Amino acid sequence: MLHVVQCTQVLVLAFVLLAASLAKLTVPRAVPAAPHGVRDVPTADDAHGVPAADEVYGVAAPDRRSPLLDRRVTLGLGVFEGCLGLAMMVSAHVSVRLAVTVMFAAATWVVGELRRQGTGTGCGCFGELSRGPVGRRGVLRTGLCTLAAVVALGAPHSGTDVLRQGHALVGLIFVAELALFAALSPELPALLERLGLRPRAAAPCERRRSPLAETYQALHASEAWLSRENVIVSTAPLDVWREGCWRFLVFPARVDGRDMEIVFAVSTAARHRTVRYAVVEAEPSEAPGVAAARSR
Amino acid sequence: MPSHPCAARRRRHREAVLGPSRPGAVSGGLPVRAVAGTILDASPHLLVLAGDRGEVRVPMTQATEVWHGGPGGPDALRPGRRAIVRTADGRGADRVWVDIVRVAGTVVACGRDAVEVDMGPHRGRVHVAVPPNVLGRVLVRHPRLEPGYLIDVICVASPDGPRAAHPGTAQPGYRADHPPAADPSAPVPEEVHGTATWFGTGDAGLAYPAVDPEGNAGGCHETPSTCVPLPYVSLGSELTVRNDCTGRAVSIPVTECGCVAARFCDRCVQCGTSPRGRVVELAPVAFAGLGGDLAVGCFNVTVGGAVPGLGG
Repeated sequence: MLHVVQCTQVLVLAFVLLAASLAKLTVPRAVPAAPHGVRDVPTADDAHGVPAADEVYGVAAPDRRSPLLDRRVTLGLGVFEGCLGLAMMVSAHVSVRLAVTVMFAAATWVVGELRRQGTGTGCGCFGELSRGPVGRRGVLRTGLCTLAAVVALGAPHSGTDVLRQGHALVGLIFVAELALFAALSPELPALLERLGLRPRAAAPCERRRSPLAETYQALHASEAWLSRENVIVSTAPLDVWREGCWRFLVFPARVDGRDMEIVFAVSTAARHRTVRYAVVEAEPSEAPGVAAARSR
Repeated sequence: MPSHPCAARRRRHREAVLGPSRPGAVSGGLPVRAVAGTILDASPHLLVLAGDRGEVRVPMTQATEVWHGGPGGPDALRPGRRAIVRTADGRGADRVWVDIVRVAGTVVACGRDAVEVDMGPHRGRVHVAVPPNVLGRVLVRHPRLEPGYLIDVICVASPDGPRAAHPGTAQPGYRADHPPAADPSAPVPEEVHGTATWFGTGDAGLAYPAVDPEGNAGGCHETPSTCVPLPYVSLGSELTVRNDCTGRAVSIPVTECGCVAARFCDRCVQCGTSPRGRVVELAPVAFAGLGGDLAVGCFNVTVGGAVPGLGG
């Protein structure tokens, strides 16, 4: 039974190493898409106080958030892990097992430090898929890999030999451990999103960057605008501001010979943007001066 | 508390469309009285200040603590200096901060005894003198005192510019141009927890890191995403700020875009360890009124508001 468990760890570790290597070598960096007219990342001109800001939308530059995410380091680590994974498959030599154990022990220390420092940098364990901050699951996952590597030190066979023997119990434990590994991997949702197997989570309307052009588009297509368009004096708004999920636009209006203001509230949601409006007295007063019907 | 010029009008317009604001989820005790002004006269029993709204007289007691680059005595209360006074409940001045200034931003250049700091587009650049006896303490909390990294120091105003007195908060480990950001899809909580700091010399208002950059909202395009999921608001929006260490809460209007605060993803350990992220930067009088110590520089905070998506 002990040999079965040990042999399974060889397969699991080889799988993890080869998967990590594949991710590091093949997954490209995701370049954030900027909404029209919106910059989310400072450019060299406006990154106040920061010399040589070198990242703009559409141009990938070396990421300085973590050395582990530097492309050259990532590629080097990927090649190294790939070699170790292949060595685990073809050789049962103790030096290979020791190298894997030391590598996972070092990785556990690094991931633990990233978690302790809490700087929000990713571990880069699976390259660009591991850009999120290191959590408890990430530390636990690397620790369990180290434990598996220690157990695998005494395994008598190489990975290919284990596969050739085709032991059913090995397959069962292998699947169970992979399921545990997947459960501890925050990279899985990111991978599914990249493969198009899962829709990208939308930003909540309160936090979503909504360009003004998008707001005008939703406003001008709305029933609320079309029904009050004829009383609006100027299409240039008097005031435009936002609070949470709503962007407000105030237009001067002339209703029954009186100067009024029409306030439109346009949703900042990604889809199904609703528009509400109210007609208020033009002169500001302490008491709310809602003069006409409130539309929902 | 004085409000932003647009605040009342925008509230009226918002309520006309969306209905009356619901009371916010964040509440607490009333703030204490805090005033700011230029010292006109000081005696062991009375401090006279020239404030924005005229002369202010604050009784002094033997328990009154004076700060001027560190714990000081009544001799620091010299006419012409600027003071911020926090009063104890009905017992006169509790604490007086004299010529206190805060410099938080990105290090642009470093010399042997000075640092050039960019405090963002609204506050500009400042040359901070770092005396040799203070440099060691600053370096303990700011091990990367080099261009591109953040700095936060409490200073004393001087004719030659601010002079560092001691570090404000510990330096984050990342570069200022790459602050960690919350997951774009992270939901906005009903109450936002984090850390509150102070800025500038004003009486009222706060700087908020997620002011919408579009239209007349007042935000800046270059503000990075914060490490706390915050909803977008505008200048004039009112937020309820509670000091979790004292339990005092008050509604304060947003008066500035917190471009600098957005780059700090740090904690406050004033009473327990706060979650990461500078949620608000308060005007010093508002900060002191909520029971904060300007020399310490932060308190654990809970923020809510009347706007949808922030406790409303």
